[in-house]
Parts: sequence; structure tokens; C-alpha cells
Amino acid sequence: MSGKQASKGGAANKSKKPAKGGTEEKREDALQAVILADSFQDRFQPFALEKPRCLLPLVNVPVIEYTLEYLASNGVQEVFIYCGAHSEDVENYINDSDRWSPESNLCPFSSVDFIRVSDASSIGDFLRDLDKRSLISGDFILVHGDVVANIPLDGILAKHRARREANRDACMTIVLRSSGNSPHRAAKARGITPVFVVDPTNGRCLQYEEMHPLQKDKYVKLDDSVFDYGEFEMRTDLIDCGIDICTPDVLALWSESFDYELPRKNFLHGVLKDWELNGKIISAEILDEGYGARASNLQMYDCISKDMLHRWTLPYVPDSNLLHGQTYKYKRGLWIEDGAHIAKNSTVTKSVLGKTAYIDSGSTISNSVIGRRCQIGKNVRIEDSYIWDDAVIEDGATVLHSIIANDAVIGKYSYIPEGSLISYGVRISAGQELPSKPVPRISLLTSEGEPAKTDMKLVGNDGKGAQYEEPEDDEDSDSEDEGDADPAVLQSSLIYSLAGLNISRESISTLATHDSDDELSDNEYEQFQAKANRERLSSFASDDSAAAAKALDQFHGDAVHGLVDALRADDNDDFDSAKLEFMGLRLANNASDSMMRKAVAVAFATRAAELMSPENGGLEPTKAAGRALTSKKGAVKFITEVGVGGNKVDLHAEFALALQKALAAIKGIDSARAGTLLAALLQQLYNLDVLEEEGILAWWTDARAAENDSLSKIKEKSRVLVEWLENADEEDSDEESDDDEDSD
Amino acid sequence: MAPSQMSYAPTLGKLLKSLNSQPLEASIESLIYLLKRRQVKGDDIANATAHMLLQVVAKSKWQSVDQLLAKVSNTGLRLAQAAPTELVIGNVVRRVMGLIRDEATEERNADEMGDSVSDLSQLPATPTMSSRPGPTPIRAGTGLPMSKSMFNLLCVTETVSSPATGTSTPMSQGASANMHALRSEVIDGIEEIMDEISQADDQIAGFADIQIHPGDYVLAYLPSPTVERFLIKAAAKRRFTVFLASGERQKPGEAPHAALRKKLNGLGVNTISLASNGLMAYMPRVNKVVIGAKAVYANGGVSTESGCSIAARAAREYSKPVIVLSGVYKFTPADPSDDVAEFEQGDSSEFVEYADGEAVNALEVENIVAEYLPAQYVDVYLTNLGPQTRDHLATIMADHYKSEDMGLSLHLP
Repeated sequence: MSGKQASKGGAANKSKKPAKGGTEEKREDALQAVILADSFQDRFQPFALEKPRCLLPLVNVPVIEYTLEYLASNGVQEVFIYCGAHSEDVENYINDSDRWSPESNLCPFSSVDFIRVSDASSIGDFLRDLDKRSLISGDFILVHGDVVANIPLDGILAKHRARREANRDACMTIVLRSSGNSPHRAAKARGITPVFVVDPTNGRCLQYEEMHPLQKDKYVKLDDSVFDYGEFEMRTDLIDCGIDICTPDVLALWSESFDYELPRKNFLHGVLKDWELNGKIISAEILDEGYGARASNLQMYDCISKDMLHRWTLPYVPDSNLLHGQTYKYKRGLWIEDGAHIAKNSTVTKSVLGKTAYIDSGSTISNSVIGRRCQIGKNVRIEDSYIWDDAVIEDGATVLHSIIANDAVIGKYSYIPEGSLISYGVRISAGQELPSKPVPRISLLTSEGEPAKTDMKLVGNDGKGAQYEEPEDDEDSDSEDEGDADPAVLQSSLIYSLAGLNISRESISTLATHDSDDELSDNEYEQFQAKANRERLSSFASDDSAAAAKALDQFHGDAVHGLVDALRADDNDDFDSAKLEFMGLRLANNASDSMMRKAVAVAFATRAAELMSPENGGLEPTKAAGRALTSKKGAVKFITEVGVGGNKVDLHAEFALALQKALAAIKGIDSARAGTLLAALLQQLYNLDVLEEEGILAWWTDARAAENDSLSKIKEKSRVLVEWLENADEEDSDEESDDDEDSD
Repeated sequence: MAPSQMSYAPTLGKLLKSLNSQPLEASIESLIYLLKRRQVKGDDIANATAHMLLQVVAKSKWQSVDQLLAKVSNTGLRLAQAAPTELVIGNVVRRVMGLIRDEATEERNADEMGDSVSDLSQLPATPTMSSRPGPTPIRAGTGLPMSKSMFNLLCVTETVSSPATGTSTPMSQGASANMHALRSEVIDGIEEIMDEISQADDQIAGFADIQIHPGDYVLAYLPSPTVERFLIKAAAKRRFTVFLASGERQKPGEAPHAALRKKLNGLGVNTISLASNGLMAYMPRVNKVVIGAKAVYANGGVSTESGCSIAARAAREYSKPVIVLSGVYKFTPADPSDDVAEFEQGDSSEFVEYADGEAVNALEVENIVAEYLPAQYVDVYLTNLGPQTRDHLATIMADHYKSEDMGLSLHLP
């Protein structure tokens, strides 16, 4: 860690002070910023193997320059940089830079500190480390090291502060850029679509989810609590700028949750979900002006480069020459640095040419960025590509929408198809035509950083390099849904495409049969459910997301097990602890009311059926029902409160239906006995005032109660009870059948 | 708004406040990046440049006039490179260099009483001595003209023997005292230039009641601050009508130039907003067109807000006078180069929403902020020295800039 206060003071003394000599009023609290220079993802492989990703050139300027410049333009005073992989490279880069070096008095920041965390494996580790260091004194800006933005933060900071003064729990403001109805390429390029649920009146963020095309269902489940707000918007059109304004509370939240890794998917999602526990308010600042985006993957890299050439990112355009020593000039769609040479009869359009790049005659270059000292031969065709410094492209070669890294050599008359990634020092020999499938990602190193064995077939006889293969274990990928394919595969290629994407084997299988895959997964899923529940929860299968439903399956299993155990227990008459456990499970899994009803019904039906079986005494159905329901203190109350959950006719009918289905699913009991047991249970519940007669009658008329043979057989046994009920009360009971599937 | 609101973003004001407390290099660097990031704009740029050159003269170490000139031109070059489209920077640098030369000459004359000095400002400052950004510009102040332009070839002998270079060679005991005196003289001179810059708009506005007559219909296209002040000053004395035209994409619910309209209306002057495509229809009614200049070239051409030349051309069709408002400090002793690079490109989002996804992908949006208005469309140049015609521009340039500095190229070497 190195500060620069000392050097600053010394330099100031040297200069002769004119008459005024006023002392600068020390700003009360200097604005602090934390740069996350590594995101622990492998979206930039194979390039990030050798160089930290924040130093990869974006329009011939290392990405982190844009972030630093952005912070400087917003008056940030103290900067903390967290580097992960290749931290020495980043530190050396900054220390050697005459603009940012903490030693240099030209640095606009009063201090630039590097923080190394030796065992960090995620952004979460960084932020928990930051919390321990207590370096942060007030509001700070948390940015990724790949942010390109020109959004002025003053106004947003002021709003954040106002919110925080109004409510101490307002701890974070996320900067989002709306991308309109017809999504711009920045929005399209994501692969993972963030879904923000926002209160449009005050910008408060209510829920955050992520969606991606590889997930098996296409739904987002809204929290029940979201509906408590008067008004909310769900937005998928927002570009996450990767700029957060945080109070130190945010770091405390990170520390509390030791397993959070990602700032969005884990942290934001988690904090919003547990809002009732932590009480924190996170706001979103949705902007319609300005530019903000993260070069977080190759597609965004492509997209931001294009935006820069179209001047959306002003003032961060090549001819602003932000980097020391840059001398770009803009002229008729071209940015040319000193000494770049374009031969007379070559055609170059909408491109950037670095210092002393040389383009020989007859070449055609469009929408491309050519680095410094690049040598482009005769009759070369380059389209939409990024050629980094010192690369050589020999005569007659064709490069389409690819990235060619430093010092790579593309031989004569070779062909580089769209989406290719040619890493440092790779050599493609003359006449070699790279295959378009799989998309070439050629590197000199393997994913473990070992020198790769040259694949002559791929790169030709004089070539160097081999196809880069993703490491097999995907530990550091951010996907935790085991069932879903990793969306990271969508982001690790330059061209976003579902159809043509075949980087890895599993993606071929999922994507090629994407539509049929959906059905398949539904079937699989239902099988899984049937196994777990011994009953079909078809209504859930269709409208919950897979992950949530899986959690619910688990909830169901655990809950039923717990309740049945409690009912079985001979030594303990108290049902309260079982109830407590049940409610805990419910909160943990965020189970819905209908889920709870099913669990309660299944538990009691199971217990009653058990009591009827010979091993347990072979009780009569009426007695079994009575014993199951009343043997434990509080069980009846529990059914009333939790199982039925209200004094409404349809809730009662639902519970009766749940009992019926539960009994139908129990094995080792024929439907006649099950029917008798149901009738007995219903009667008991009626007698105990748990179920009202209207509820039972409504169940009787419900079409779902007679869906199939076994159900109707079971139902038939209750006819006596129903008729008795009808006679007992002369009231007309022609309720309409209730079609509402999810009445909760 | 919250009472605790404070702004963090660096501004020119903050920079100027901190000038004394931080080293010169850091200040220059800050200004360079303010320019690069477009955080200093418009008329502030001249002021900022003058402030910075004042710091250079006051703070940096120099033993001779040549060294000082080199330092000033070097700083000027760096600032100009940071904002190549802002010609005022070059103007201020030239003014300051001219000032240094003058002061040095005076000192020398006072000291040595000899060496009659040819007053270089008497040289005819014709537009022919343009300073196209050539490959080898004059390294002003070193006394070694390296420009290959015709003019410089001809005047080689003269510049070599020019007094400015002469002062540097003999350095006697009294020299440091001289230098000290020179420093304070130059600082005073720069402060005068700063005053001139800051008062230019007011002085121009002082001519408002002469230019605008009662009952006039005045068209102001994209009024710059100078034009606004001019109109407000006129409104205090005259009853007339202002057409406010703007070509920008208008944000819904936001009347253009609302503040200006309010002020003018408060003074009893009617304002009418025009869309720029309806300009021609109103032209017969208009008595004069007022345009603010970003820079005035030696040939009389004007760099203006883009769109102004439409208004000027329309006025020409109807033979209405076009008045260009420009402080003398905006007069640039150079001809407009055909280099498109001199015209700043703006943010595309002013015309196409970034949210218009389809358009963003399909269109190439070029938002050129400034444009060139040829001299034949301009009738009067209203400067802080009074109204001028094109014929007098050369004289004004010659009065304000030294011939050595006119060729000063502030473009990349």
C-alpha cells in the first residue's frame, strides 16, 4: 500500500507561492472508490491467461484506463484497487503510468492503493476483506475494472445521500441505463438478462433475478412480498453499468453473508430477498441519458468498441487521446494516430489505426481497430475485427469479426472465420483456412497455463498454437443451478449466438435441441416430483421456476417427514416444536400456502393410514382419523391455522381436496379403505370445527375431486357424509365449482 | 434538494482555486484532462488558458526570455492538443507570447538604450501567411523558424535577428533582476488579457443599443452566452422582437432557451421560438440576424454553432444583415484549414436516443458541433472594440499578435 500525500506536500513547497497563498479548504470527506479489477470469471479466455483482463486493450487503450478516467472525472480522491489474477501486472501498469502512478504528482487521485487478497476466489472475498480493513469512511463508489461510462455521478451521489438521510437503511444505489423498447446491441449482447423489479415512484429495487436462454423454464418467480407494494415495474431492458454507490453498511452485509460471491446474482438478489431480515433498502437509478456499460465479456467488448466508434461514449473516444502519448485524429470516419500508413489504393472505413500501423495496397478494412505497429499486407480483408498491437497479417489474408492478439501472425492467404480468438504470439501458417466450427480459440497456452502442444492440423505446418479448451471443472463459473447449463458459455465467445454456439459439447446438446429439450425437462422434472411427493403437483410444475420448485420439493419432503415423526412420537404430547420446525422450513424455502397445505394434508393422511395398518394396531378408520388428528395437543389448531389457513369456503375445499389426493397417493391401502378414511377424517375435522360444511360441499362439487378413477372411488365413500351434511343444513348449496387453481 | 449536497466532479472553478496549492505540472495536467473530458467548455476555455499561462510565467523557472517563450508555447501546445478544436487556446497563447516579446523589448531598450528594434507588429499581417498545420511548424521562441511556408521562408533573416532572441545571449549580473521585473510585467499583462476576456461580452453588449433599433425583429440562432447578454442588454433600452431558433432535438416538455426567454419577456421584449426548418418563412420579417462566433479566422470566415450558416444563408437570400458577435480574443490569425478535424464532433445521443436500438445499429450519426461560415455571409463583426468590417480584421490581428507567433502551429508535430 502506498499513499502519495508525502510527495504532494513536497512538491507544493518547491513552487513559489504568489501573494494570495490561500490554503485550500480541506474537503470534509474525500470521495472514495473501490475498483474490482478481477471478476473471477473466464469470459476473456484465452486472452486473460497471459494478461489481466483489465489491461486488455479496448480500442487500443487498456480497459482500466476508462474506469480510472471515469472516476477522476467524477472527482474521486481515494482509489482502492483489488486485483486478482496477474495482480503484479496491474500494479506495475499503474505504477509505471505517468498519469495514475501514486508517486507522480500528476495523479488526480490523492491516493491509489492496491489491495491483494491472497486467497480470494470471488468478488465477495474482496469485499469481505475490505470490510475488515475499515478503510472506507463514508459513501463510496464500487466499480468494476471494466466500466466504460460517461454518466456524471454528482447528481446520483446527491440523491443517494438524500435517501440515506431520509432513511438510514438506504444503503446502496445501483446505476442502470435504460435501453428502450427495441434493445440496443449492448442489451442484446448479454446472454444473461438481469431482471430488476423496481418501484417506479422512488426507484427502490424490490427484487433481482437473472434469466438466460439456457435455463429450462422461462419464468421469473416474483416474491410474494413484491405484491405488497402499491406499484412496481419489472424491467429487463436495463443495462447494468457496474457502478454502485454504497455506504459502509453494504460491506457489513457482505460480511454477514459469507457465501455471497457475485455482487448481483448473490448479493443483490439475496439482500433484496431477505429484506425483512436485514431491513436494507437498495435503490436503482435508471438513466435515460449518458453511457455506461461493462466490458464484462467478449460480446460487450465488441459492443462497447462499436459504441465508441459511434461516439456514444463521448468524451471517451479515440480522438480525445486520453492516454499519454496518444495522437489520434479523427478524419472522415477514421481515427489515425501519427505515422500510421495507409497505401493509396486500399480502402479503410470507420476504423482506428494505431501509431505506425502499416496497411499495404489493395487491402480493405472496415469497422475494425488496428493496434500500434501492426503490419497489414497487400489485398488483406479485415472486417469488424480487433487487431491488437504488433500483430502481423500477411498478404491476401481474410479476417472476419475476430480478435487477433498481440504479436500474432496470420499467414498469407489464410482465412480467419467469424468469432475467432487468436491469442498472443499464435502463428497461422500461409494458406491455412481455420474451420468455422468449432469456433477457433487458438492459444499458445492451455487452460492450466502450460505451453500447449502445437496442433499442426489446425494452424498449419509453420504454425504455433492449439485450440484452447475450457477447463473441465467449472468451479469458478457463476452458475450454481446444477440443472441448468452454464450461461457463461454464451458469454465466452465474441459473437452471441444460440444457433452457432458450439464451444463445448454440452452446449451443443442443449442448444441444438432447444425446443424439445424443454418438454424433456418438464417430463424429467415431473418424474422427479412424483418420486419425491408421491403425488403429481402439476399445477406447480407449470408456473414455478425449476429451482424454486426443486426447493419446494425438498420442503415438502422435509415437512411431511417432520410432521409425521412428531405425530408418531409417543413420549411427547406437544406439537408446538413440530409446528415451529415446520414454520422454519417454510420460511427457509419460501413455500407458498398451497405447498404448506399439501404438506400438512399428506402428513396427517399418512399418519392416519399408518394407524389403520395392522402393524400399528389396525384401528378402524374413524378411530384412526380421530387418533391422528387429536392425539397431539395443538395439532388441530395447527391444521386450522397452517393447513387450512383461513376461514374461507375455497380454502376449506382445497384442504379437503389435498387430503383426498394425499390418501390416493398412499400405497398399501386400497381405495375403498382410503375412501372410508377420508370420510372419517372429514367428519372428524367437521366435528372439530376445522372444516365448515360449505367447504366440504364445495369440495364435493369440485371437478378436480373426481379427475381420475382412484380419486372418484375415494370420493364416493364420502357421499354419506355429504348427504348428511346437506340434510343437516337445508341451505341451498349449489356453489359454483371453483376454477381458481391457485387461490392463495 | 438535500442541504448537504456537494459536488465532487472537478470543474474549472475548483481547479482555479487549487492553483496555488498544487504544483504547476499537476495544475496543467488537471486542465488538460478537463479539456479532454469536455469538462471546460466554451468561453471558459480562453479564461482557463490565460490562468494557466499566468501560472507558467509565475511559477516555472526560467533564466531568459527564450526559455520563458519556450515554456509558454510548450504549455500552450499541450493545452491545444488536448482540445484541438478550440482555437481560442492558440489565440491566448499567441497573445501571451506577443506580450512577453513586447515586455522583453522594452526592458532591453530601457537597459541598453540601443539596438533599435524593428517593430514586428508593423509587418503586414495578411491572410496569406496562414499557418496550416504543416509537418514542421515553427518552434516559436527558439528563434529557429522551421516552417516551410512561403512567408516564413521570406522572413527568415528577420526573425533570426529579432530582438527576442538577442536578449537571451548575454546574461549579466542585472539580468536576474531584469527577469524578475519582466516576470511581474508579464503577469500584469496576462491579467490584463484575462480582464479583456472576461469583459468582452459586456463590452460587446454595450454596443447593443446601437445595433438594435426599436421595433426590430432580430433572429438569434442558437444564442451563445455572448448573444444572450447582447440581447438582454438591448432589451433594457429598446423594444423589439426576438426570434429564437434552435435546431437541436428538443426534449419533450422543455422549451428551448427558457431562461433567456423569461429574462427577455421580463424586460418587455417579445420572443418567438422557431423550429429551424421554419426559418426561411420568417426571414422576410427579420431585420437582422445575430450569431455568436466560436472563432473568427483571418479571412473573415467564422466558426459557429452548427446550423448557424443556414440562418446566415437564408438572411443573405433576403439581403438581411448578419451580425457576428465575437471578442477580439477569438480572432485567430490563421485560415481555416480544410482539415475536418478542426470541427468538433459531438455526442451522437443528442440526435438519436441510445435506446433506439435499431437506429443505433443501422445509422451512423455524425453530430458536428461547429461549422464554418464563410466570410461573404457576414456583414458586421461586432467585437469588444466596436463593430468591424472584414477589411479591418487583418489590422486587428496585426495589432494583437506578433508575426512570429502568427505562424505558431499548435497542432501535433
